[in-house]
Amino acid sequence: MGFRLSRPNGDTRPSRPRLRRTALAATVVALAAATAACTSASHAGITSGTNAKGTPQKGGTVTLAWQPGSAPNFIFPFVPAANTNGYNANLANLMWPTLTYVGDGAQATVNPQKSLWSAINYSDGDKTITLTLKPWKWSDGTPISARDLVFTYNLLKANVPNWNEYLPGLFPDNVSSVTATGPSTAVIQLTKSYNPSFYTGDVLSIINLLPQHAWDKTSATGKAGNYDQTTAGAKAVYAFLQKEGGDMSTFTTNPLWKVVDGPFELSAFTPSTGDYTYVPNPHYSGTPTDLSKVVNEQFTTSDAILDAVRAGNGPDTAPLSLSDIGQVRQLQSEGYSVASTPFPGVAGAYLNFWDTQDSAVSAVFNQLYIRQAMEDLINRPQIVSKVYDGYADPGNGPVPVTGFGQWVSPLEKKGGPYPYNPSAATKLLTAHGWKVVPNGTTSCAHPGTSASECGAGIKTGQKLAFQYLYSSGDPSTDAMEAAIQSSEEQAGITFNLKAEPFSTLAGSVAVCNKSSHPASGCGWQIVDFGYDPYDGPYPTGAGMFNTGGADNQGGYSNPTMDQLVNATEFGSGTATFYQYEDFAAEQLPLLYVPLPYNINVYKSNLGGYAPMNPFTGGINEQDWYYTK
Amino acid sequence: MTWYLVRRVAQSVAVVIGVMILTFILVHMVPGSAARAALGPRATSARIAIFNATYGLNEPLWRQFLSYVSGVLHGNLGTSYTLQQPVSTLISQRLPKDCLLLGLSTVLALAIGLPVGMYQAVRRARPSDHLLTGATFTLYSMPDFLLGLLLVALFSVQLRWLPPEVPQVSTIGALLADPRALVLPVVTLALVSVATFSRYMRSATIETLAQDYLRTARAKGLPQRLVLTRHALRNSVLPVVTILGLSLPGIVAGAVIAEDIFNYPGMGLLFYNAATSHDFPIMLGSTLVVGVATVVGNLAADIAYAVLDPRIRYVAR
Amino acid sequence: MSVLTPRRRARAKGKPARPTAGSATVGNGTAGSATTSNGTAGILQKGILRSPQARTGLLVVAAVAAFCFLGPLFYHTNQVRVNLNNASLPPGAGDPLGTDSEGHDILGRLMLGGQSSIELGLAVAVATTLIGTLYGAVAGMAGGIIDAVMMRVVDTLLAVPALILLLILVNVFTPNLPMIIVLLTFLSWLGTARLVRGEVLGLRTRDYVLAARAMGASPRWVLGRHLIRNAIGVIVVSATFTVSDAILTLSALSFLGLGLPPPSADWGTMLSSGLDYLFDGFWWTVYPPAIILIVTVLGFNLIGEGIRDWAGGDFAR
Repeated sequence: MGFRLSRPNGDTRPSRPRLRRTALAATVVALAAATAACTSASHAGITSGTNAKGTPQKGGTVTLAWQPGSAPNFIFPFVPAANTNGYNANLANLMWPTLTYVGDGAQATVNPQKSLWSAINYSDGDKTITLTLKPWKWSDGTPISARDLVFTYNLLKANVPNWNEYLPGLFPDNVSSVTATGPSTAVIQLTKSYNPSFYTGDVLSIINLLPQHAWDKTSATGKAGNYDQTTAGAKAVYAFLQKEGGDMSTFTTNPLWKVVDGPFELSAFTPSTGDYTYVPNPHYSGTPTDLSKVVNEQFTTSDAILDAVRAGNGPDTAPLSLSDIGQVRQLQSEGYSVASTPFPGVAGAYLNFWDTQDSAVSAVFNQLYIRQAMEDLINRPQIVSKVYDGYADPGNGPVPVTGFGQWVSPLEKKGGPYPYNPSAATKLLTAHGWKVVPNGTTSCAHPGTSASECGAGIKTGQKLAFQYLYSSGDPSTDAMEAAIQSSEEQAGITFNLKAEPFSTLAGSVAVCNKSSHPASGCGWQIVDFGYDPYDGPYPTGAGMFNTGGADNQGGYSNPTMDQLVNATEFGSGTATFYQYEDFAAEQLPLLYVPLPYNINVYKSNLGGYAPMNPFTGGINEQDWYYTK
Repeated sequence: MTWYLVRRVAQSVAVVIGVMILTFILVHMVPGSAARAALGPRATSARIAIFNATYGLNEPLWRQFLSYVSGVLHGNLGTSYTLQQPVSTLISQRLPKDCLLLGLSTVLALAIGLPVGMYQAVRRARPSDHLLTGATFTLYSMPDFLLGLLLVALFSVQLRWLPPEVPQVSTIGALLADPRALVLPVVTLALVSVATFSRYMRSATIETLAQDYLRTARAKGLPQRLVLTRHALRNSVLPVVTILGLSLPGIVAGAVIAEDIFNYPGMGLLFYNAATSHDFPIMLGSTLVVGVATVVGNLAADIAYAVLDPRIRYVAR
Repeated sequence: MSVLTPRRRARAKGKPARPTAGSATVGNGTAGSATTSNGTAGILQKGILRSPQARTGLLVVAAVAAFCFLGPLFYHTNQVRVNLNNASLPPGAGDPLGTDSEGHDILGRLMLGGQSSIELGLAVAVATTLIGTLYGAVAGMAGGIIDAVMMRVVDTLLAVPALILLLILVNVFTPNLPMIIVLLTFLSWLGTARLVRGEVLGLRTRDYVLAARAMGASPRWVLGRHLIRNAIGVIVVSATFTVSDAILTLSALSFLGLGLPPPSADWGTMLSSGLDYLFDGFWWTVYPPAIILIVTVLGFNLIGEGIRDWAGGDFAR
């Protein structure tokens, strides 16, 4: 079983990750700002940033620009399964924090100050969790209590799978009971032993605490009661809360949503645009925020964002598209600072090993030497420096070389097993019986299964021409894919590029593996969705490279890989991890490509913003303050 | 005349039904799965099955169509798969903004185009006529995204006179409260269509000016100004109504490119996003609204023709 | 040449009797002359040569066509290989107009892009004209129920959103020039059909047509001999506007990301990619494609407008 943390689907967008406060894994890595600074980037210009100097001021309004497509549409923290909008979590989590809060400055660690528990203990062979909640209060004065936790658990237990972050086997399936042993103490009984840091960091960081005293009702006019204690009641309460949770016109007026325990409360929401405004929750029991208002503004395109920022009166912080990197100097002269952080994830072009329309293509992909040749032809360093101006991970393997500290193997640090080498690619192909036609299309001349022949399932004349799908809308991606297409031509490998809007792509490409390869979704050959995020600083390949993994888009399957991935899930040593990592880099279950960084601009006098954290993308509104 | 009207209305209803049937078939022909587009590429077959069952996507097309129609007749346009909101709510949130901006731009285009056209007619073949032709046609030949982006670059970023985006509010009142922010979008949309109106007005005015009875009137001492306003303008009213009628669907359909550039999610982007993500309810609801607007607009235009030229009515019988 | 001489309207010397109106309107049939100016040769003679606008337009289009089709014979560049080391270079030694973000020489790419754009425009115009003219003429001639049904079909197709069609095609096939030509033709013939039908409706009632029918001429003969020949002016004008609209539509599609994939070149894609780098000061990626696009579209528009305006008005509208 993979510890695949739930993620909103479709979050492998090329531009930005879902900025949910995703959890951290057990073996946490301190993301030293130093690591970020020691990038292999040719520009020393933009790093994760240093905090603004000056005296913190009280008050002020910050306007955040969100990247296109971030408009939330649901406010109740547990979103229905059919609603895959990952940005709803950004709306809800600042009002109803999750049990565990992740992110501390530039460190990707569990943050005990902002988490809801003051103590968390594992006992009984790590099968029992005793959790003590902090003496915090809800905004109506009622203290947060263990009863709230029981309520939350009861709702989920009765209603999964109708929760869009639900993964079978994880919460609440792996819990056998939750009991309140005191007003602030709860005991969670697990069904099996779990790694404590994993459970605290990964699982409890997606569970928001709900106010039982205010929300345990089945209708707007009814009184709150203990309906959650029966399954039927829990279903009724959940259905009611979800119904209310989707009514955008009442987000700011519904009394339900006024009971919060987080640093902010919602003061305005515009349904037609998805813009919303927070004001500080005056009853917040944690460290109050210094700002007086936070305005979240949605935009249709990144051009519109840049125009607004450049026009002067616009957002105080905004994402910067890589194609606008030339604007940095100008923006810095206009009073903005710029900070970058790597995206924690894997960027690559998936290969379909279970092509239902043309099984010959899959037979070709099954040959490691062909995958190697294709990777040899991708000039990743040139793409990093020319397309992304140095602000990209070179794609030496499954782990980004920046930001993952000790988990980056020496092989990856050296540049990975496949540096740019077109002649090696041609040699590999000719040695296996292919007729290489540079700038034409290479075809198989000697079919067969011996070492010098094309390989199993490949017939004479089989061409090395594939349809390469990728997500449209980003000029840097267009340039990168065009460069890849062009350099593959050197050995006669033809990538027929086809760009489609992301959702169109999502609609036609399914996960294809041995046990499930529906004809309607498995006609694709190569697809580049952007990137696959890691949920925590421990970049395990579980789910991505193991047989049948939920994120194993092309159905790559290799028993050695399965074994190595398994070993990394329970071990914490770097030796075991490097074994997996190097194998994944060498095996090329997908073609690794550079992954551009996340770059944000923010007003230079905005303190608490930098250094940027790769897992929160710098969006920690409660920590911000203006400086003089 | 009434008989003609009744016939045309009946035909319009038939057209709307035809549009809906055709669109229904087309949206289901777009390859790919609505479930996967809404749930993401990693959706498990279990979730896809639940999705398809919830939205009745496994039923035969004709049954899906009939249940959609019955929903519409009860005022229910369905729920968006991707935005999880009722389609009627989404449309009612976005339509006012679109109508305001596109309506204003049409009015502006008329306000510029009609006088320019008349002026050109009076000064026909003179340098000023050619100059104006050149100017209006150059604007007409520009792709609208180019015009919009250049205007933003000049007036918002360089000069900082005008905001680069439309006010991010919901109500018409609030929209109108910041007129500066409406200038660039309205001007962009208007400038590209000035030529349409000015050319039309120009030729209509030339035609009117050549009328025999006007020669007589002028011979009897009627000033040119009165000739223009009293006759040329009046003769153009109905044809202008015709053109307006034909622009109605455009106003309701929104302008994707302007919405993109000026940051207001309107009907255009709503449809575009829905179309790329197999969001059938939005596609159908949007098409219904535009279809109705189209037939209403066409009807108005045809009635104007009929009123203008009795022979058409006669011939069409 | 018909035996009967149509009634002439008295008109002021040197002024055309009835200049043309906007292409979307139905013509006001009047008794024009059925003289030698009705053939295509007549149009050319009267329209293009007499009109300074049409002459200018023709010159412009010819120059651009020469640039695009003959240019590459003398000026060789590689428009397929991506060369990131040469990306976004300003105009200089090897590249008179600089390079784009993939290292392609812009001057060479303009030539190639122009070939796609012009081929597309002309192909769409020819196909649209043929289909639309036939359909519209038949509808106009037939009248009655047949006309009503045919026009309602046109109305229906007009209301169906083009985007869906485009998405179906884009999903099933990789977009290429022939596919986009087919799509744009499918969208454009509707307007031409409407226009021609309106013309035919107006011309039907002319005396010479009535006379010919009275003398026993078959509808097909009347159609070919009289109606289409008399409507040819409108048709030609409409065709030239179709060319320019097709080129503009292609550029809008490229802006939305639905255009031709790399390494194909077209002005719209060049322009929208160039605009992404507008603020970086890479003016050579924006202004050259913008200018040549506008100039070409303008050229076609001027031809159409010139013919319409100056052909002597011997044909209605």
